[in-house]
Amino acid sequence: MKQLLNIAAGLLYLFLYAPIAVVMVYSFNSARFGARWTGFTTNWYGALLDNPAALSAARNTLLLAVLSTSIATVLGTLLGYGLDRFNFPGKRFFSRLLYVPVFIPDIILAVALLLFYSLVRSWLGLFDLGLTTMVIAHVTFQIPFVAIVVRSRLVGLDPALEEAARDLGANGWQTFTHVTLPLILPGIMAGGMLAFTLSLDDFVVSFFTSGPGSTTLPILIYSSVKRGITPDINALSTLIILASIAATIVITMLQRNQRAAT
Amino acid sequence: MKKSAIAFLFTLFMTFAGWASTTQLNLYIWSEYIDPKIAADFEKQFDCKVTIDLYEDAESMLAKVQNGGVSLYDVVVPPDHIVPAMIKLKLLAPLRHENIPNLKNLDPQFANPSYDRGNRHSVAYQWGTVGVFVRQPKDRPLPQTWGIFFDPKLQPGPFVLIDSVRDMLGAALKYQGHSLNSTDPQQLKEARDLVLEAKKRSLGFEGSVGAKNRVLARTARAAIVYSGEGARGVNDDAETVYFIPKEGSQIWVDNLAVLAKAPHRDLAEKFLNFILEAKVGAKLSNFTQYSSPNKAALPFIRSQDLKNPSIYPPPELRARLEVLEDLGAKTRLYDEIWTQIKAR
Amino acid sequence: MNAKPRDAEVQYGAHLTPGGHRLCSAITSGPAVLWLSIFLLIPLVAVGAISFFSRGAYGEIELPLTLESYKRLLGFGQLGFDPLYPVILLRSLALGAGTALLCVLAALPLAFFIARLRPRYKTLALTLVVIPFWTNLLIRTYAWQILFAPESWITRAFHYLGVVNAGEPLYPGVLAVAIGMVCDFLPFMVLPLYASVEKIDWSLAEAAMDLGANRVQVFRHALLPQIAPGLVAGIVLVFLPATGQFVIPDLLGGAKTVMLGNAIQQQFGQSRDWPFGSAIAFVALGLVMLGLTCYARRGAKEGPSLL
Repeated sequence: MKQLLNIAAGLLYLFLYAPIAVVMVYSFNSARFGARWTGFTTNWYGALLDNPAALSAARNTLLLAVLSTSIATVLGTLLGYGLDRFNFPGKRFFSRLLYVPVFIPDIILAVALLLFYSLVRSWLGLFDLGLTTMVIAHVTFQIPFVAIVVRSRLVGLDPALEEAARDLGANGWQTFTHVTLPLILPGIMAGGMLAFTLSLDDFVVSFFTSGPGSTTLPILIYSSVKRGITPDINALSTLIILASIAATIVITMLQRNQRAAT
Repeated sequence: MKKSAIAFLFTLFMTFAGWASTTQLNLYIWSEYIDPKIAADFEKQFDCKVTIDLYEDAESMLAKVQNGGVSLYDVVVPPDHIVPAMIKLKLLAPLRHENIPNLKNLDPQFANPSYDRGNRHSVAYQWGTVGVFVRQPKDRPLPQTWGIFFDPKLQPGPFVLIDSVRDMLGAALKYQGHSLNSTDPQQLKEARDLVLEAKKRSLGFEGSVGAKNRVLARTARAAIVYSGEGARGVNDDAETVYFIPKEGSQIWVDNLAVLAKAPHRDLAEKFLNFILEAKVGAKLSNFTQYSSPNKAALPFIRSQDLKNPSIYPPPELRARLEVLEDLGAKTRLYDEIWTQIKAR
Repeated sequence: MNAKPRDAEVQYGAHLTPGGHRLCSAITSGPAVLWLSIFLLIPLVAVGAISFFSRGAYGEIELPLTLESYKRLLGFGQLGFDPLYPVILLRSLALGAGTALLCVLAALPLAFFIARLRPRYKTLALTLVVIPFWTNLLIRTYAWQILFAPESWITRAFHYLGVVNAGEPLYPGVLAVAIGMVCDFLPFMVLPLYASVEKIDWSLAEAAMDLGANRVQVFRHALLPQIAPGLVAGIVLVFLPATGQFVIPDLLGGAKTVMLGNAIQQQFGQSRDWPFGSAIAFVALGLVMLGLTCYARRGAKEGPSLL
């Protein structure tokens, strides 16, 4: 039984990593088309540097992620705090609404925003598709994730700490900045990192809300793959994979240090 | 905390700085349809930046333009049967001919076309045909018929169909001996059923470029492509061939057009004028291997391309070719049939 | 994260006046609520509204208001009756359910395997599961196109095993889509499941075995109830999004497996029929909300936190 479990687990890990491995391997294939291996070359990586579309897509992807994450982290943290501590009319409804972007297929959100932008454009002339519309769209699906993470961090806080601060004479604002905020900071950062990754990886919402010159890496990869997989796309994908792996390892180590510190 | 904030703002600033643009031309064009060097030459000559977004079929382009692209892009490349629709939908800006003196370079048969009298809104870009791109051994040629796709007995191996409403239905209509512009619901239903049956045996739908790449990658044996993809494919792989089936096919003209709310209208017209230059027109056709409507460019085009019947079909071949027309309100019928084909 | 149960006596904001309470509430929740109202609520309502409009000859949205989109969804189009969309819906639900089931079958061994590891290897094992999850979905999906190419040994193995007929490529096809989906959603199932598996009280299993139960009975009665919350959470995290997936059926199924997501994309793209696309999207939205409400109701009985 134990052996079976180990074998099954081994196969499953293989299964999870097969796609990543094959992309990395084939980025060195010298054949332009097809799955036949015709020789080893690193030319395709060099070609990427000459590819303005790839460079511009990378820049757009990062810019979009940084902008949207910044906005969403602020709004989401405030919302998480507000939902945990205060009441307002319609709070139950909004608590439920918060989970909608988490669970609905992203294409529904994407076409809803496309539609919304179109309607507003025809009445007010705003929301031409481009970086702005993409940032707005990303923030919209990032806020719930940040809010949920921050809120669950808040729920786990020992109320005695804040009570103690108040007993010692701190007002609400001081309690918040000196006691609450530092304690939930790991949650805010976790939420922010989650939001950042969601934005970097997003394809469907970006695809529908993008305009000229605001192509992101996922959109570029999708369009290229639709025309046929070529090794330069594999090279680009490999770089993205390596970046993701590096980031995941760094974040995991940071989290372990955090947990050790607290 | 302060240090990381500064670092963050600095990165933000750097990304923004790289983003500040000089004047720009937003081109929305078919994939593999313009030589990147031509865009670079234009950028140098007119001190601007050219952004290029790509599409694989005319209806998707129309969808994007209708969805707001009309005020985002400057130049699009619609085929002949889409131009009247775009004019009716007020998506195209009238061309100011005084800004496009190179119009005189156009071959007379492409100036003043029936779908846009007086070139008021469009200028011919490239023309070509729809045909079949197959891999075949020299000694056993395949029958030159649409039946390769529609007749199960003639299937040569895995194949792909073309992901374009009029082109795909046109192939089916031609196979059944009807006109490409039929609006007879019965004929269209039969065409639909033919395509649905072929779809079951096929690898799916691809744009012309993707289809050509599949045949080159040996994941498909046959595909429906445009003549330029066929010619370039044959260049890449001598085992392949491009032909126009005996039942007949489509001849089309793609056009440059400026969108009604183009943000850089003057630059767009300069671009049209630039493409119509003799040397640029030749560079274009030498890259795309499509047929050029530019008479002044012909002397500079590769001579084997000029003699290639796939690119410049001789009169007897042209007799089998039909032009697509805008069907007005009846387009709806095609769109609904296409949705049925795609959705099943 | 261990959530301490909150003291019922602690009232946050108790030191604030009602006016102060409203102000604090407005400053914290206000911006996000406003944002989500404008950019989430209104667009979703717009989708419902547009579904009642008509489509012009070239794809414009125009009046009059009509139920035609919904009639087409039920099968009554311009060219006669055609139960296409109910079939697509069922196919999508089946794909979602199938993916969830396969993920459960794959996640169980993984979760138990990791739970039984020595503590210092557990984090590594979990990180290894999570790394693909953080890698771009598009890349992982199109990679299967390469893995399923006609000459690849995976395809040949499948032909040999008789899973697919020889001469028929694996991709595009339903099997390719299913495999791609499982590969993508597996981490979503493993993580919540592992959270439950880790907390299993094995003494119950031992007691059951002492009482003479066989392995199946031990699993069903001693283990399954303990991992049920994680299992259910994983299923919800997989089933709902899987039903509306667009990218994986598009890249691995081509035009041959049309699911809800592809149908919606088609209407907003090539087919240029926004009212109809909105109708499909609105129905899909309704179903997801229904599923979520059912889960929330069950969740409310068992405990407050959803994730």
